[in-house]
Amino acid sequence: MTLPFPFGFPAATQLYLVLLVVTMLVHMVFMHYVLAGTAYLACGRLFGRRRAADCGWQQRLVDWLPFATGLAITAGVAPLLFVQILYQREFYTANLLLSHRWMAILPVLLVCFYLLYLQKSSWIMKRAWGWRIAVIWLAFAGFGFIAWSWTENHLLSLDEAAWADLYAAGGLRYATAGLLPRLAGWFLLAFPTLAVELYWQGRLCGEPLGEPAVESARVMGLAPVQRLAVTGLAGLAGGGLALGLYAATLPAETRSLVTGGLGGLWLLLLLGGLLAQAVAWGIALRAGRLATPLAWLLTAGWLLGLLGLLVVREVIRLAAVDLKALLPQHERAAGIGGFPVFLVFASLSVAAIVWSIVAVRRGLKQQASGAGRTST
Amino acid sequence: MTPLIPYPVVDLGPLMKGLVIGGLGIFHVFIAQFAIGGGMLLAYLQWLDMRGQCIHGRRFIDGYFRVLVLISFVVGAVTGVAMWFTSIQISPQTIGVMVGEFHWVWATEWSFFCLEVVAGYLFYRYGSRLPDRTRLSLLLLYAFAAWMSLFWINGILTWQLTPGAWLESRYVWDGFFNPGFWPSLIFRTITSAATASLAACVLINAVPAFSREEKAKLIAVCARPLIFMLGMPLLGVWYFATMPADSRGWATGGSVPMTMFLTMAVGCSLLVGLYAVVAILRQRLFINGATSTLLLALAFVATAGGEFVREGVRKPFTVRQYLYSNAIAPAAVAELRRTGCTTNDPYPLRNAAAYPTPQLQLGAKAFRVQCSVCHTLEGVNAVPELAAHWSIDQKRLNIAQLQRTKPFMPPFAGTPEELEAVVQLISWVDAGRPADWPSSDDPAVLGQIARWLDEAGTAPGYELAAADGATAMGSRLR
Repeated sequence: MTLPFPFGFPAATQLYLVLLVVTMLVHMVFMHYVLAGTAYLACGRLFGRRRAADCGWQQRLVDWLPFATGLAITAGVAPLLFVQILYQREFYTANLLLSHRWMAILPVLLVCFYLLYLQKSSWIMKRAWGWRIAVIWLAFAGFGFIAWSWTENHLLSLDEAAWADLYAAGGLRYATAGLLPRLAGWFLLAFPTLAVELYWQGRLCGEPLGEPAVESARVMGLAPVQRLAVTGLAGLAGGGLALGLYAATLPAETRSLVTGGLGGLWLLLLLGGLLAQAVAWGIALRAGRLATPLAWLLTAGWLLGLLGLLVVREVIRLAAVDLKALLPQHERAAGIGGFPVFLVFASLSVAAIVWSIVAVRRGLKQQASGAGRTST
Repeated sequence: MTPLIPYPVVDLGPLMKGLVIGGLGIFHVFIAQFAIGGGMLLAYLQWLDMRGQCIHGRRFIDGYFRVLVLISFVVGAVTGVAMWFTSIQISPQTIGVMVGEFHWVWATEWSFFCLEVVAGYLFYRYGSRLPDRTRLSLLLLYAFAAWMSLFWINGILTWQLTPGAWLESRYVWDGFFNPGFWPSLIFRTITSAATASLAACVLINAVPAFSREEKAKLIAVCARPLIFMLGMPLLGVWYFATMPADSRGWATGGSVPMTMFLTMAVGCSLLVGLYAVVAILRQRLFINGATSTLLLALAFVATAGGEFVREGVRKPFTVRQYLYSNAIAPAAVAELRRTGCTTNDPYPLRNAAAYPTPQLQLGAKAFRVQCSVCHTLEGVNAVPELAAHWSIDQKRLNIAQLQRTKPFMPPFAGTPEELEAVVQLISWVDAGRPADWPSSDDPAVLGQIARWLDEAGTAPGYELAAADGATAMGSRLR
């Protein structure tokens, strides 16, 4: 394991590792939006009805969170599939050890999903403001529980030495030194994602975020883009600190793999990505606007940073598992036919998705111009 | 092949694990069928609306789609993931084999999920503001993607019962396009269309703004796909013909619960089909909310019965001729009889102190590995209850020759010592778990168990029955 990830592994393992990282990245794009978006909304609701009405981001989140949750769940299926090929024994064992506690994430997810729909329903609009606070905090607590459970499950899957004792004890909880900092790191790094995504959502909907904000758009003295900058910067600082603490809990050999040949370049990419985002958001905070070139730098930093983060995550996992025992399984899985069929249909599905988005945009324009002609 | 991958075994107390996954599966299948049929129905309604042949079509489509999103996109999506997680809890080895063999099929299905979700949400969000042609395109795309998810998963599910040529070739497409694939796919497509039609009838009645006449017209249109139910008997027979003979036998009298559930599924489908064809489509009777809800409930019962039978007739396998219900491969039975099914199990008992002797502890571990996926010690399908009236020697014989005792059971895959330990465990539980329990290590008893195990061999029950039949025929001819 001296070559940069994913090189140095057999071709089959490389294939599944790359697929896991790429599909996980897609999942993160939506999952971060949901997790940090719910938290943002939960905090924003505490400032009262008037401030919430002034804050366009909150309205946008209320509107889009259910859809983003649907996408996060759907996008999550693919990494869930590839993790079962790569680390089947580890993943299944952790699931089984946490048992009912682990399975509780499913009803919780169901409830949270409906709470997000409830948050945008006409029913809640007619209720006192406290209802909205209660509903979104409940959803946030639910997503927090799910995030905690996933972190716990992941860490347990890496700790084979703990399995038999945990089973014998009948405990449904796995507490380890890395749990809280890792959970905090992942949670806080969801905020920079949210900030970038909200920025582009706003831009695509025609908000002039590249221009200085008008006074009426300010909330607590901050322009829309400055509120995103504060969100992004807070997430970067807190998340970076938490991940640093998590790194301190890792065994020295694992740390050397992360900083060495296998993960070193990716760690640099992660740090570079975080730095690029910090610089872009810092400038935006000072200027009160985010110009297009800087927005692209921010976006590149965000995506590359996430990619680096996910690879570093895999490097840590590869250091913990018995890779020699897993390689023959990867080899066997890759030998099973079906990959070309997947590639063909996945390409067709992507094309159909792009086509349907374009068709809807065209259709909306067509209707709008038709309505315009009718009204004139 | 690894004889048995040791995983920690989940204890669901008095609940039978099969019922948990079965119950969730039935619920998920019904929701999924609603989504698949719903897409097809809505595309059809949109097409009719564009031709001016469907009163209030556009309004109804938007309302129906909202319900579809709220039910199918939320509950359907979460229960879909739950099926995977629950399968891991119940039998990690089985789902591991399924994922290993068909991960590219699953990945392909996932790409259609993505298309389904995006097309669906675009319609949900912008549909009311789109021109008719774009609406139709989106609905067709949604319906196609939803049906394709059925197409892919159907291949995996039918493979479990009728793996066909895959058993020899291990070629993924031999397994996917197995003998049960086409009848099952067409049958499920019709079931989906019927479910969506009945759900539409319920929804139409729930809209207060529609007059009775408008409701009647809409119902007449939405009920049209029910006509396809006429093809179900033929498809059912075709599907049955593809089943292995012993599996068919369970459903047609060999196993009372299987036969009852099949009767329930057929009876409910027949009632729905007859009512739909005669009353709704031919006589054009108006069906109110209560009747349509009742019909939908009958459709649910039919689905539940059908799914129960589909799961049940696979016994003693979870993947026909490849993996037994307790996740032990047929090829591994002989090896486990030699080395023991608990030897490589690294997980200790959770409540070892509750068992007064090491033999009972061994029995508890062997029970956990071999029996607990379908049986409990004190709960649903409890072995001590099933064997309560057997003598001690009868217990030894019946478990040693389990595949003969009940042909839907797998052969016992452990040493004579483990078998004796299981016998002692169920006798001890049946006796009320006394604090003192003598150990049984008589070499003569263990020798007898070993002979019984050898006599039965390691083949499944239906193969033994066939061999017995051939022997009997041979001796008669002689």
